[in-house]
Amino acid sequence: MNAKQTYLKILKKSIPIFILMFGTGLFAQIEITGTVTSDDGVPIPGANISVQNKAIGTTTDFDGLYKIEVPDESSVLLFSYVGYKDQKITVGSQRKIDVVLSASVESLDQIVVVGYGSRRKKDLTGAVVSVEAEDITAYPSATAQQTLQGRAAGVAVQSANGGEPGADIRIRVRGATSINASSDAIFVVDGFVGAALPAPEDIASIQVLKDASATAIYGSRGANGVVIVTTKKGKKGRMRIDFNTSYSTQTVTNTLDLLNAEQFGDYIQEINPGYVRGSADTDWQDVIFKTGQIANHQIALSGGAENVDYYLSGTFFDQNGAVLGSGLERFSFTNNININFSDRLKVGMNALGRRSTREGARTQESTGGTGSAGAISAAFRFSPDQGIRDANGDFTLPSVGDDIDNPFATTTQIFNESVNDLFQTNVYADLKLFEGLSFKSTLGYNVRNNREGTFFPTTTVRGAGVGGEGSIQTIKQTNILSENYFTYKNDLSFAKFSATVGYSYQKERSERVTTSGAGFLDDGFSFWNLDGAANLLFIESRLLESELASYYGRINFDILDKYLITFNARQDGSSTFSANNKWGFFPSGAIAWNMGDESFLQNSKLISQWKWRVSYGLTGNRAIQPFGTLATYEDIISIQGGELVNAVALQRLANDNLKWETTKQFNVGVNIGLFNNRISLTADYYDMITEDLLLDRPLPETSGLSNPVQLQNVGSLENKGFEIELSTRNLVGAFTWNTNINFSRNRNKVLELPDGEDIRDIGNSSPGHLLLPDVPILREGQPVGVYFGYVYDGVYQNGDTFLPGAIFEQQAGGERYRDLNGDGELNSDDQTIIGNPHPDFTFGINNTFAYKGFDLNVFFQGAVGGDMFNFTLLELNTLTGSSNATTEALNRWSLTNPNTNIPSAAQRTRIISSRWVYDGSYARLKNITLGYSFDERLLEKLKMTKLRVYVSGQNLVTFTDYPGLDPEVLYRSDSNSRSNINLGLDYGSYPNVRSYTLGLNVSF
Amino acid sequence: MKRIIFILIMAATWSGCTDLEEEPIGILAPETFFTTTDNLQAAVDGAYGHIASEQFWGRKFTLSLLLRGDMVTIGDPTTSSRRIEVDEFRMNGDNGMVTSFWPRSYAIIGSTNYAIEGAASVEGTEEEVNAIVAQARFVRAFTYYHLVRIFGEVPYIDFAVREAEALSSIEKTSVEEIYEGIIEDLEFAKTWLPDQQPFRSMPSKGTAASYLASVYLTIGNWQGAYDEATFVINNSGRFGYALEADFQDLFDATKADGLVEHIFSIDFKGLDVISGAPGIDFLPPVTGMRGPDIEGWSVAVPTVAVFDSFDDNDYRKVVSFDTEAVFDGVTVPWQDFGTANRGVSRPHIAKYYRFPGTAGNNNRDSDHNYGAMRYAEVLLIAAEASNELSGPTGEAVDYINQIRARARNAAGTMNTFPEDLTSGLSKDQLRDAILEERRIELAFEFKRWYDIKRLNLGMEVFGPTSMEPQTNFDSTRDYLFPLPDDELGRNPNLLPQNPGY
Repeated sequence: MNAKQTYLKILKKSIPIFILMFGTGLFAQIEITGTVTSDDGVPIPGANISVQNKAIGTTTDFDGLYKIEVPDESSVLLFSYVGYKDQKITVGSQRKIDVVLSASVESLDQIVVVGYGSRRKKDLTGAVVSVEAEDITAYPSATAQQTLQGRAAGVAVQSANGGEPGADIRIRVRGATSINASSDAIFVVDGFVGAALPAPEDIASIQVLKDASATAIYGSRGANGVVIVTTKKGKKGRMRIDFNTSYSTQTVTNTLDLLNAEQFGDYIQEINPGYVRGSADTDWQDVIFKTGQIANHQIALSGGAENVDYYLSGTFFDQNGAVLGSGLERFSFTNNININFSDRLKVGMNALGRRSTREGARTQESTGGTGSAGAISAAFRFSPDQGIRDANGDFTLPSVGDDIDNPFATTTQIFNESVNDLFQTNVYADLKLFEGLSFKSTLGYNVRNNREGTFFPTTTVRGAGVGGEGSIQTIKQTNILSENYFTYKNDLSFAKFSATVGYSYQKERSERVTTSGAGFLDDGFSFWNLDGAANLLFIESRLLESELASYYGRINFDILDKYLITFNARQDGSSTFSANNKWGFFPSGAIAWNMGDESFLQNSKLISQWKWRVSYGLTGNRAIQPFGTLATYEDIISIQGGELVNAVALQRLANDNLKWETTKQFNVGVNIGLFNNRISLTADYYDMITEDLLLDRPLPETSGLSNPVQLQNVGSLENKGFEIELSTRNLVGAFTWNTNINFSRNRNKVLELPDGEDIRDIGNSSPGHLLLPDVPILREGQPVGVYFGYVYDGVYQNGDTFLPGAIFEQQAGGERYRDLNGDGELNSDDQTIIGNPHPDFTFGINNTFAYKGFDLNVFFQGAVGGDMFNFTLLELNTLTGSSNATTEALNRWSLTNPNTNIPSAAQRTRIISSRWVYDGSYARLKNITLGYSFDERLLEKLKMTKLRVYVSGQNLVTFTDYPGLDPEVLYRSDSNSRSNINLGLDYGSYPNVRSYTLGLNVSF
Repeated sequence: MKRIIFILIMAATWSGCTDLEEEPIGILAPETFFTTTDNLQAAVDGAYGHIASEQFWGRKFTLSLLLRGDMVTIGDPTTSSRRIEVDEFRMNGDNGMVTSFWPRSYAIIGSTNYAIEGAASVEGTEEEVNAIVAQARFVRAFTYYHLVRIFGEVPYIDFAVREAEALSSIEKTSVEEIYEGIIEDLEFAKTWLPDQQPFRSMPSKGTAASYLASVYLTIGNWQGAYDEATFVINNSGRFGYALEADFQDLFDATKADGLVEHIFSIDFKGLDVISGAPGIDFLPPVTGMRGPDIEGWSVAVPTVAVFDSFDDNDYRKVVSFDTEAVFDGVTVPWQDFGTANRGVSRPHIAKYYRFPGTAGNNNRDSDHNYGAMRYAEVLLIAAEASNELSGPTGEAVDYINQIRARARNAAGTMNTFPEDLTSGLSKDQLRDAILEERRIELAFEFKRWYDIKRLNLGMEVFGPTSMEPQTNFDSTRDYLFPLPDDELGRNPNLLPQNPGY
């Protein structure tokens, strides 16, 4: 017996102890046996059988056989299995009960978790979309957010930096509803609002609440949609052990075609004939791009006895990125226990502990400026005729342009490490006060500690002149939430009535300390000896606190199961709201009609379900930072006698009227099931208008504020669109084929801005060292973040009339721009909107095939019609001789090559123009998985219930005309407003990676 | 069970007691801030902090003054267009230099106004409180003095803006009224400031008098200028003012804190803040050479004609210009600076790039203290005012010769150049000599543009045979900068735009 078997044996033996500890001493009297099969006659192993209202349950074996003991003949057995309709059978005099479960793609009786409760899917009045566990774990992923990409209509998910390990993930439900505030959907994990998500493997299902009928109960946090996450729980019955493991290799999907050393030398010498060519020929992309790996493991123990169920899981995820020096390591423990204390009281607890360590090679520069290039942009810019080290053994610097570290030095010398610890727990007690009325109280606590350290040693440009530079920042965030609500249910003869009323209190606190210094005795100290710095550069500590108190309620009224009425409301009071607007009220209402249940359709062979839904309501976005309505002084750097002195400066004027943003949303939708639900279609149309947008209203600069603006509720914007989800069971029987298609189209439009003026220069969108104005603009009538610049008209030829203009060229081979206002010269009035980053539509297509033990999943995902602005190509191909260029430069204008759109090599000003706007449409094979599950009979001998091996590939094929590395990037989306405004920008971004995965799922 | 219900009810109610009022910790509110003289000083120090910001003295404002004049022009033609526009008189109201330093100027003024009003609630004797208020009023005058010369009519705001609504009535003030306010503030400062301060970056009585002299010179009040300048000169011992022995020491950041010649300095601390924060000095890199391993940016570079206009025997030429650089271990003369990518084959300004003290990359974030007013300038003002009032007297010539004597000290070696001015000059000749002395002595110290404007020299110094021909120069337009268009949009009361823009 090996160690593992011993371990299992001990665990199995310990189960009765659990039962003894929590058992009630009840002994069943009647034994029932039988078989559970599907409607095509195949036994269903693992089907659940439980006794209604009793904590008794079992599962079928590999032949679909079961045996269960029930207390008496009035007991009701409940048969269920994923993908099949539930069945209830009263025992009566039967002792052998064989059951045939009929399959359904979409079970209408499926329970869907919504805010403060759950509903049968059939009874839903709102727009809610579900994502199931198998989709969440279809491929290895560091975060669960990422796995939602392409899975649900109306839910747009994008990495902020391509395939970078640990990159931020943006989730937008029905577009961005804000400009300045966060547009990220809020997460609710097992009822904990604002909780962190567990590892993908520990999630049972995800529901996304989209319309106001579903989200208004989250009041001032509901405007961006709500993502409700339910973690896995133990099932009653014997202990189950799941072991999932996979190993992946990763490479970047794409590289740029750059000039080689010889071509580069030719190009530079056209500008600077005296340029001395280097002797090397280095492919810098090859230097930093490598084969990365992911190892992903999970082991979970779960099960349940009469009055307790448990789920214990540990995960380990280790990724070495496809760019030298980037990586992420994460381990987590998830622990769910539920105890039936008595018939009336149920208590339970979820706990999540996690550490993630991100090793961030500086792949993408954050603030820009000279000397701080990210490795990827450096790999494009850096002179190919230089080697990694010069004759003295020092790292080379570029032979043209600003001094930057070479890509190898950036990835290997600059040290950046971020360690994030999370502890989260949520305990609850659910008390049945009397029949129909229950009370639930939860207490959640979440603490996150993040430490980020960065060190630039003396071998880097930034560290060289100053004896190394190091910084360390720690942030501690705590979030406490107490929820208390009553639920009342009453089933009348003609109608079902239910109501929920509750109160909640939440307190969030954030503490931040940052220190940096320069001038160290030794590079080896890294950032762990900042007190040894000759120059202390920066010290800061900050505290932010906010409180939220809320009253909320919901009424559901279901008449004859056909006419469904829902009202929701929440009243939120927040400490961050201004003195005159402490409380906000957010109501919503919805009606739905199960037309399919009307007599004229009830017996239709074609139509198995037809439900209309319509809803309207208000939701909010808190959006105001703590202390954001008070007049404040800020510290300002001031020097006297060469030393820092205390100094203050006016930061903000008070605003006693500031309030939340309000989104008014109308939604109409339909759910249609055809041919016994073999085809099911969900379609929704929505129109959301966000008012009272929190925008900085420009104040006269004579106000004396260093940033002369005041945050006011001015402006509005609209998001409207439609969504379609289509699920079909194309083939049933031995060979099954299911298809899920989702399609989303969102139109975003700015309706109103302060004083109707365009807003530019708020996104800080351009890489600092390029010294460019912002690309995105906010303009009434246009989508948020459309691109603004000049129209590129190709190249001037000899004999052309050159348009005058301060920064514009007047020579043959020079860039030619269009004189839009026809005044005969080029100036800032000739700029216009040159691109729209919002896609026309996004889609996901998921096909699942199964035959015998084989399963095949093919998942496509894409976005069509959005523009992108490529700063990388702007920098490289303006051809000013300050960096390398792409092979496009080989077609540059010259006297012998006049028929081209590419200008000559010449010193010229970089200009934001339509030349750098590209179609970012793409479709990609996001995932393909082929799995084989071994035969149950074989597994029985191995004492296993499941053994599946699979191979999969991610991002294997991408169809796009986009000339950059990858269309899925969001450069400069690192703050709330930037993530709303800076869309489709690309600069030195981490490309997506192509992965091959080999994996194993085992259950005992 | 009862116990459990009790616990649940407790859990539900413990959290219920909140008034949702914010009690900020670590955040300062101006309403409650002004209690002690230390706090009052911190509010004034905020104004100094704004002066020493990138948008003002650290780059945008000072670089604009450099480029606008006839001593410096763009070196790297690929630099940002806002700089080129200032240099070539192509700027408009959307120019990025103006839109940066205009709001920062009013941030300085706003800080002083809060301090001046806040003083009412500060505990302390009249002398203690007024000595700090006098600093604030000096800084307010200093800032308006720059603004009125750059823009002409601007809003003269001498109250603390506390509500956004108060801004809608703000209008332009006439140039005369602005000068009245400046003089009133400087007189108050001269009354209440001490004879000496711990640091030259804080104004003293002599600082206020020196600026009064400069203001009077600008508005042509020769007597006022003469009186104030000679007041400073005659009390130079009491105020601690003298010429530095070695001209180079004035531009060596390692010696900056001990200079007796500084009457008012803008103090930067090398490597004091992280990248991106205000308080960083960028003048060394924008004026420094660009080479393969030298990290200046060659933005603001004198023309060769400017270099040639300095006598080769003048030690100040050596101090003011970098004529060679070591690129990759090889000494390169200025004629070859252009071989570096985006470099330019012209001598570069050395006053800031050469000795930046503790500094970061590209010599940014330097340790310089910039002499916004130094004793040599007071001597020059006294000489000019004296000549205008009394003609070419020995007194005027003597002031100039003090400066020339110092210039002969080339790091301890006594040159014969520049020779003393002789007393046989006519009034006009002496006026020209004083102006030329200002040009050489104060080269690249942000004074030249004001002299061009004050003396209406534009057509001459930007003409076709000048050191820096600028065909766009238009004397009906270019003596004033455009008001920022952005600000005109925010406050239409400020329309019309300055003429010609």
